[in-house]
Amino acid sequence: MLLQSHELSISFGGLTAVDRLSLTVEKGMILGIIGPNGSGKTTFFNLVTGVYAPDSGKVIFDGKNITGLRPHRIAQFGIGRTFQIPAPFSKMTVLQNVMVGTFIHASTMKAAKEKAWEILEMVRLDEKANQQVVNVTLEDRKRLELARALATEPTLLLLDEAMAGLTTVEVKAAIELIQSLHTRGLTIIVVEHVMEVILSLCHRVVVLNYGRKIAEGAPDQIVNNQEVIRAYLGEHYSARR
Amino acid sequence: MSVVAERLKWNSASLLWRWSPLALISLIALVIPWIVSPLWIRISTEILMWAGLAQSWNIIGGYTGYLCFGHGAFFGLGAYVTGITMIHLGWPFGFGLLISGILAGLLAAVIGYPTLRLRGAYFAIATWAFGEMIRQIATILEITGGAFGMQLPAFLNLPYFYYVTLLITVIVYLTTYLLLERARFGYKLLAIREHEEAAEMVGIDTVTIKIKAFALSAFFPGILGGVYAYWVTYIHPDSVLGAQITDFMVVMAFLGGIGSLWGPFLGAFVVQLINRYLWLVWGEGTFYLIIIGAAICAVVLFIPNGIIGLMEARIFSPREALKQLRRIVKW
Amino acid sequence: MELFLQTLIDGLLIGGLIIVVGIGFSLCFGVMHIVDFAVGEWVMLGAYIGYVFVRYLGHDPMIYLPIIFVIFCACGWIIYPLIYRAVSGKRHNPVLMGLVFTFGLSILAKGGALSIWGYHIQSITTWLSGKSILLGVATVPALRFSGFIFGILVTVLFMVFLYRTRFGITIRATAQDREMANLLGANVRNVGSFVYSLYAGITGMAGVLIGALFSIHAAMGAKYCTLAFFVVVLAGMGYVPGVIIAALILGLLQSFVGVYIGGRFNLVALFLVMYVVLLITPKGILRKGI
Repeated sequence: MLLQSHELSISFGGLTAVDRLSLTVEKGMILGIIGPNGSGKTTFFNLVTGVYAPDSGKVIFDGKNITGLRPHRIAQFGIGRTFQIPAPFSKMTVLQNVMVGTFIHASTMKAAKEKAWEILEMVRLDEKANQQVVNVTLEDRKRLELARALATEPTLLLLDEAMAGLTTVEVKAAIELIQSLHTRGLTIIVVEHVMEVILSLCHRVVVLNYGRKIAEGAPDQIVNNQEVIRAYLGEHYSARR
Repeated sequence: MSVVAERLKWNSASLLWRWSPLALISLIALVIPWIVSPLWIRISTEILMWAGLAQSWNIIGGYTGYLCFGHGAFFGLGAYVTGITMIHLGWPFGFGLLISGILAGLLAAVIGYPTLRLRGAYFAIATWAFGEMIRQIATILEITGGAFGMQLPAFLNLPYFYYVTLLITVIVYLTTYLLLERARFGYKLLAIREHEEAAEMVGIDTVTIKIKAFALSAFFPGILGGVYAYWVTYIHPDSVLGAQITDFMVVMAFLGGIGSLWGPFLGAFVVQLINRYLWLVWGEGTFYLIIIGAAICAVVLFIPNGIIGLMEARIFSPREALKQLRRIVKW
Repeated sequence: MELFLQTLIDGLLIGGLIIVVGIGFSLCFGVMHIVDFAVGEWVMLGAYIGYVFVRYLGHDPMIYLPIIFVIFCACGWIIYPLIYRAVSGKRHNPVLMGLVFTFGLSILAKGGALSIWGYHIQSITTWLSGKSILLGVATVPALRFSGFIFGILVTVLFMVFLYRTRFGITIRATAQDREMANLLGANVRNVGSFVYSLYAGITGMAGVLIGALFSIHAAMGAKYCTLAFFVVVLAGMGYVPGVIIAALILGLLQSFVGVYIGGRFNLVALFLVMYVVLLITPKGILRKGI
């Protein structure tokens, strides 16, 4: 059991964003989290990575209680995360962006540079290494986002809607990339709206609605689950089925 | 010629080309006290001092992106601490300088701890209020001479102060170059400036780094304040703790180009010369404040990246101009 | 006990006037995300313009309040597009750019005032100066009292405007979610102009009253800038209702420090309180700040 959240809850001024959420992620697994907009997916990520401290509940990572710790400590423990809208460091090159990620483990600038090159090669961004980040396409920014997270040498990777805005071709490439990362031993949690990704990548899927877990199981089970259909498409549609 | 030798030749030529302006300026800087009149030695010392101050501000304001509007307080603090250690404690000058710098750095760390954890706007406000408060404290305390100020032992040796200021400013720029342009520390600061949340996510302890940057940025003004005190021999709250100290630092850094290595130097050079010229023409009035204020507004509106920014965008590029010149000369 | 009561009332009265400065400033940040470093200078200029009117046209400065309001609104209207330009465009860190810009404005204003009026301390008097009102057990200076009434009046009008009128709702919407308000048809830029002009107007008026209450000099801006900052930090940035409580606390603090410790320490006391607040509850005492 690599990550476990136990009765995690947080509200923002009367609105409960995450409501007693408990889930487990085994090592080597790819977990998918889906749910309508506003169901608490990104908030959950924020809770795990320490951006918010929960009102109640715990987060246990690799046996350590990381609830409420600051994000940089959690990153040092081995959780990497990408943002929905890529957040690169603007006045730097692609390479420099990734180098910043390597600083946790690399002891010299030289080692940092080498490690960064390796990662860029792995995500196939090495050709754009010396370009300023502002000049780079969205797809490349997403790869950069991923590369930077990988640079911190995580054991758990949280991908927040990494496919948003990508074309079908780009999505296929991204799926391949994520699968190759998984083969290297990374445990991954994927928040997605694109069903193709969920179905082809995930071992297990958790469905959230209004901050609560409403279903959990294998991808093909979830897709046929009544509750899930109702949450996504509303009462009318599920009644018709 | 072999490939290696060819490459070496090209490298050394380009190196020469890149470093020669700096080498030239350094050479001139070293011999100034021998070749110019006392007035110009004084002006040069001022320019160097402000270049050092503006760069120090740049460390926290430009590189880290946290604008400090009370930075002059560290300068004034250094001036007073040096004065106190020399007069009341009888310690030697150099020692007083070091204590000034260290105390300034420590105070910055203390002030920075609650304020750097918040957003930039809070930091600006809190540091501004801090600056005002320090000035009021200096006016109240007896040990600082209160509103009457403090007299330091006279040591009338212009070249001495010129070289001391030169040394310290060189150290400031060297430190900035090594720590902020080349080392991981600088990268981390830039990351914090560009996207603090993402920087945290990538394992950077933003609070500690920011506090370190702030302390570093306060250390040098502390020392420069001490030098200034000994140089002018008389200090009082309005002269070393007045808001205009911070105002000048800000306008110089902005005009030259915040976040760049040479921006503050350029800014200090331009602004101090203009300032001196205005003194000459208008006398020591208050009109210069209008100019500074208008300058800050204009820079923010039209050239937010300063002169260096213009050069980088090729709008104003000496290199381009030089290339054109060479082309013309070849004809 | 009498001294305590007197100090208490004094503090509350002053606080009432400070509310005006705080509300405008807080709204400025809440709606346009602009920290106006020149807030103290608006006060100072208000005081000086009031002084100029009294000196050259005679009569009581109170008469000129409406005119001053209009003049300062106009000034705000003219200046705002510049501020808007400073905070928009491709610059990153727009809030900080706005900060620096208004910082420059404050220096400019201060330099202008010093150049025109010099270092002399001026004062203006109104028919209320020197008179007292008996309020229960305490005698209260009439001018201070009217300053307080002014503050309350402005606050009430403001609140009514913000919470009961259509445009007020537009302003609050813009403050909460600018893009959305834009999409829903609110002309964000006009909202900004309007808010800034209003803020300049009421702050200018407050300046006249402050000028009548205390002395007028070109460096007075710093004090009110500090007070505005303090109020807003205590209230929570952008949270307007909190300003009322914060301003009153501030007034009390100033009053008590002035009487029991010594007026020279008021900045120190202010800063220490601000420092502690930032350490413990950075989002304001009521935790409602941005």
